[in-house]
Amino acid sequence: MTTAELRVREVTLRFGGLYALDDVSFTVAPGALHALIGPNGAGKSSCFNVISGLYRASAGSVTFGEHELTAYRPNRRARLGVGRAFQNAALSPHSTVLDNVMLGRYALTRGGFLACGLRLPWTRREERRHAARAAEICDFLGIGAALHTPVGGLPYGAVKRVDIARALAVEPSLLLLDEPAAGMNAAETAELAGTIRDVRDELGISILLVEHDMGLVMDIADRVTVLDFGRVIADGTPAEVQADPEVVKAYLGTDNTESTEAG
Amino acid sequence: MSDTGTDARATTTAPPEPPQAPPRPTPRRGAQWWVRKALWLALFLVLLALPLYLEAQWLKAGQYMMVGAVGAIGLTLLTGQAGQLSLAHAFFLLAGATSYTVLSGPTGDPELVGFGLDPLLALLGAVAITAVLGLAFAPVAARLRGIYLGVASLALVFLGLYLGQSAESLTGGTSTGRPPATFELFGFPFSNDGDLEIAGVPIRETERVWYLFLALVVIAFLLARGAVRGRIGRAWRAVRDNEASAAVMGVNVPTVKAGVFAVSSAYAGLAGVMTVLWFDILKPDESEFGTYGINVSIAYLAMIIIGGLGSVPGALVGALLVNGLPQVLALYSTQLGWSTGTGEGAFTPILISSFVYGAAIILVVLFEPGGLAAIGRRIGQRLTFTRRGKE
Repeated sequence: MTTAELRVREVTLRFGGLYALDDVSFTVAPGALHALIGPNGAGKSSCFNVISGLYRASAGSVTFGEHELTAYRPNRRARLGVGRAFQNAALSPHSTVLDNVMLGRYALTRGGFLACGLRLPWTRREERRHAARAAEICDFLGIGAALHTPVGGLPYGAVKRVDIARALAVEPSLLLLDEPAAGMNAAETAELAGTIRDVRDELGISILLVEHDMGLVMDIADRVTVLDFGRVIADGTPAEVQADPEVVKAYLGTDNTESTEAG
Repeated sequence: MSDTGTDARATTTAPPEPPQAPPRPTPRRGAQWWVRKALWLALFLVLLALPLYLEAQWLKAGQYMMVGAVGAIGLTLLTGQAGQLSLAHAFFLLAGATSYTVLSGPTGDPELVGFGLDPLLALLGAVAITAVLGLAFAPVAARLRGIYLGVASLALVFLGLYLGQSAESLTGGTSTGRPPATFELFGFPFSNDGDLEIAGVPIRETERVWYLFLALVVIAFLLARGAVRGRIGRAWRAVRDNEASAAVMGVNVPTVKAGVFAVSSAYAGLAGVMTVLWFDILKPDESEFGTYGINVSIAYLAMIIIGGLGSVPGALVGALLVNGLPQVLALYSTQLGWSTGTGEGAFTPILISSFVYGAAIILVVLFEPGGLAAIGRRIGQRLTFTRRGKE
């Protein structure tokens, strides 16, 4: 599977006088498991929103393969192969797992009110085919048994998996995961780490991950970009980043406070 | 591994079969599915047979419920499924009623505009015109949500009130109104003309219109049901629940919002055509309360809330209650010897049924926000569980 390179170049995002992102550049290599980390308010989610098109960058460019993503509206980016799971798992609680995951097939299918309403033969055939694929994806993520259960009645860990399944249903070549482990306990997080690695290995797609759980990030990421106050302060392998004094400072405070604490 | 076909990426990224796929519950098409199908069929047969047994006044009451059913299905798609609050339903009813009357009206009248179209074409034209009017409202709908959209859409009702009164060459004006053309289907008139009997019962205007309305309700119902279960229904619910995630999943949010407004307006337009055929006159309102007034917009909201927001069968039951109750009470009041009072403060059937469905809304909001549809679903589940328990 050839997946394209995601290049974020000199992206700046301003809200009035506030810089949410300031000249941010990084590259997600094809097939990489790339983590975007940083303290609260560093601009990680803003960066995701720029990539998926919910925010419009004030300056800079985001390219995916040969496509300049910033030129496309968010719904067009799904067609280019960008899938995204949300921090708060923005699903329809009353709909079943299958129905939620099938939303991910929206860009791959056709049919408006009349085609659906008349249940035309080709619409039904297409629906069956894509439902089978959605069910496969759910099986892959271990939620196949809950296919016909409303999402509202599922435990939290399963809900997060439904969200990932929905993002995968887009058939992305780049998957954006926004804090997939948020609110999970250690066992659930470990299981999730395995799933994320499986997704990358089996599907051969690139994954860009925002995550607060450092254990998870250092465990599975190939490469880590660290944001602080909207700027990139480090970019490298997990080991390099962990050793970076800038990163230590951003997470633990300045040398100054450390020395006062020590003294 | 099945081939998803349309997309090359789909096949290349297919994950390998997990070693032991968990047993997936097959889509339920067991006994329950057949029971449900049989119940719908039985209901349909009963509705087909009713004109042979009921008197004309009861049929007339039933027809009014069917008018409500078509309109309520349209509103539950818009407000329940896609989450767009609209109080403009009465306006689109008026637009549909006027369009039908004008399109099918006789040509050559010096004071009234008419195009002399075949009534079936006029009906389809009225539906198309109201759909376009709904689309025209889309730029507003795309920018507002929730109660703000509701208030903005309410403005259309007042616009309709004004236009209905002032455009007398179209509507006939408030004093006389304007009769619509009798509906015809390929030359067969839905009037008292011609002799037609089924099992010794003469099938006259009321019976014929009953069958016409029944056919329209069935079409409206099936279309809505298919749409809700299909791709477009998922897009509606996604827009309702989270616009950002809908967009990221590939849904063009403004287009889908505009589309559902057009669909809902088309349903209201059809209900408007049915309204004018039912009254056998197009008469614009003199005040904001009337056939196409705020009270009607609110009545439609009441139907879909009582029935359960977003539920198509629920909309049918809601229409049965809200549009049916005043009719049935009016019929009973003469039998029971009530003085059907008139004027200020009189206990008219309409007033009484307003109280009843007002109370029903309060009960629904307090105790079962899912409406009658949720209650029905729960009963269905209970039945399945008890049967599974016995097996």
